[in-house]
Amino acid sequence: MKRLLSLVGTLVLSAGLAGTALADLTVAVPNGSEGDGLRAAAVDYSKLKGVKIEIVQAPYSNLFERAATAASTRSGVFDIVLMDDPWIPFFAENGFLVELGPFFKGIGTDGPDNDFLSKSVALCRNPYNTGPYICLPYVGNAQLFFYDPEQYASVGFPDGPRTWDDVLTASTELTGDGSSRKYGYTMRAAEGNPVVADFMPIFWSFGATLFDADRKVSLQTPEALQAVKMFLALAKVAPPGVESFGADEVGTAIAQGSAYSAINWPNWVATFEDPAQSRVVGKIANVKMPDGTSAGSSEIGHWTMGISIDSKNKQEAFDFMVWATSAEQVKISALRGNPPVRFSVFTDTELTSQEQYRHYPTLMQAINFSTPRPRHPQWPEIENAFGRELSAAVAGRISAEEALDRSQKAIEAIIAR
Amino acid sequence: MDDSASTATVGDTPAPSFIGERLERWVETHLRYIMLAPAVLILAALTLFPTFYMFTLSFQKFNPAVDVPNEWVGLGNFARLLTDEKFHNALGNTLFFTGAAVGIEFVLGLSFALLVDKYIRRLNFIKTILMLPMMLPPVAVAITWKLIYQPQFGVLNDFLFRLGLPTGVWTSGADSAMWAIIFVDIWEWTPFIFLMMLAGIASLPEEPYEAADLDGASAWQKFRDLTWPFLRPVVTIALLLRLMDALRLFDQVFILTRGGPASVTETLSLYIFRVALRFQDIGYAAAMSLFVLFSTIVLSTWFIRRMQMDDSKA
Repeated sequence: MKRLLSLVGTLVLSAGLAGTALADLTVAVPNGSEGDGLRAAAVDYSKLKGVKIEIVQAPYSNLFERAATAASTRSGVFDIVLMDDPWIPFFAENGFLVELGPFFKGIGTDGPDNDFLSKSVALCRNPYNTGPYICLPYVGNAQLFFYDPEQYASVGFPDGPRTWDDVLTASTELTGDGSSRKYGYTMRAAEGNPVVADFMPIFWSFGATLFDADRKVSLQTPEALQAVKMFLALAKVAPPGVESFGADEVGTAIAQGSAYSAINWPNWVATFEDPAQSRVVGKIANVKMPDGTSAGSSEIGHWTMGISIDSKNKQEAFDFMVWATSAEQVKISALRGNPPVRFSVFTDTELTSQEQYRHYPTLMQAINFSTPRPRHPQWPEIENAFGRELSAAVAGRISAEEALDRSQKAIEAIIAR
Repeated sequence: MDDSASTATVGDTPAPSFIGERLERWVETHLRYIMLAPAVLILAALTLFPTFYMFTLSFQKFNPAVDVPNEWVGLGNFARLLTDEKFHNALGNTLFFTGAAVGIEFVLGLSFALLVDKYIRRLNFIKTILMLPMMLPPVAVAITWKLIYQPQFGVLNDFLFRLGLPTGVWTSGADSAMWAIIFVDIWEWTPFIFLMMLAGIASLPEEPYEAADLDGASAWQKFRDLTWPFLRPVVTIALLLRLMDALRLFDQVFILTRGGPASVTETLSLYIFRVALRFQDIGYAAAMSLFVLFSTIVLSTWFIRRMQMDDSKA
């Protein structure tokens, strides 16, 4: 009998100890500077307001799975999710996010203030740019085109590349027969998100779109074919093995001076300018996306905060989000390595006068001329199907035409299901 | 004689209440079940409930949207297995990986065990070194090999380049990626087969070998007629464990290739993971999981029976 009582006692004590660890807010964030920045902000907020915030960090590829599973099981385990913007349609259209309109009314406004970049705010409305607010932008990413001006000048492009044809011509010359193990261009061509993320700016710059005005898949077009052919031509002058490259491999190749140009995210500027990690300090320029047959456009990739529909602390969550995205906090976040989402921070001379923030004008321009990934609740599956065929084309298993035909059919099947 | 009955007649101490006495007796009688109950309940919660839940989900189209019920689709998810090219590709990749990796591991493991047993029986250090890869966490193994295989900065290509040999793209090449993963698996799990075989060989009786020596049997004859039949139970267990493990390969593929390039390394586990958690198509993922579960059970049962039949014939 005593043994039974002691067992029950132990269970009760354990439950009591577990109860003391509960937080007021639980926030899901990715690993890396974005998550680290919000973690540090949460510590500051806790000290300031006495609100206990638990930050749950996960690798990028697992964060969506965790947040989506928590949402679809209605567990309410996360009050706030720091979402990559292509995830917004999934969370919003399945009803997992709280509409922020009533909360904004509670603080006497209709929505985010005008200091936020319009493209950043547009992402946080569902449908895009027209619907109600369902999140707040926190980190302002858009892809940049990085290149080594000295190398491009050496092959006849002293002003850098203006078009993708320029990039291909220069890269072909710089790569040569590949024996020097230095390459004019490198790319992310790993299956899934990486290859699609690198391809979309080229796709858009040739005037192609994934969905037409009637929301039908529109991959079997001359523009799309031209874009895929350019992508495959660039793959031929890239280092061997790009079929498994993600952002890390591309960034490392640039930082080590083994590749001279690439598309990548702006957070790599810090690495390129860090003598401990880079052999190209001060040598890499960043510009807006080169043009194709249409104007070049970067892929936007913001991190945004939304409140779970099952959160039990929605008002507290909203208060924290408004505080964390204030101009003062966004500037602090920028100092922690996260690109801002506010005009006042992009143009803050205290920041732009420093070497590590010299890309801010280019980045703000890139965001202003950026394009969001197609807004569809099944985007993760669509991206995977498209990425699978693009990867097969880069690997030389299928032609550009086959890649587009197969992608068209696969995406149509996903949407029809 | 019953002790409790005799103490009850003494009458010096106050007798326990009737309910308390019965409760205590009941607890004493059922203590083994009470002590086992938490473990059994946890086991049921972690295995039986998810299996039952998976079974029910496999007949539904899961809808992640708030307040939208799942749709009952009967055998629809299982019918989809017949036409899903990605599933066929993942199934083919998994079977190829399992056959190649486990086959090579078995040949190498058995060969090493025979060699070590014959020539270096007392060198425990060698045995320890050979077992090290198996002791490492699979994720650490995969990350280490990812760095080794890296085409531009990896140790392997650098080594080949310095020797003037052609370099490769290993996990990035559509033709080489699967073999690169198989090689890692062989490196990691051959020691397991080796260890099992070595233990089996060490327990073999010596008399039959002495008799065979007297009869002038060759080394091959001794292996074929003595070692192999004696080892068969160990071989069955070792291969069964490796087959079941290889059929659910995930970590190495997830870290080394993520199923690419061109899906040539996408295994069933990775595909199910994507369908369930990335695409939130949990009903279809449940159907695929059930297919894998039943296939593994059927394969294992067939394998064990086949080995038992061979034993009875021998």
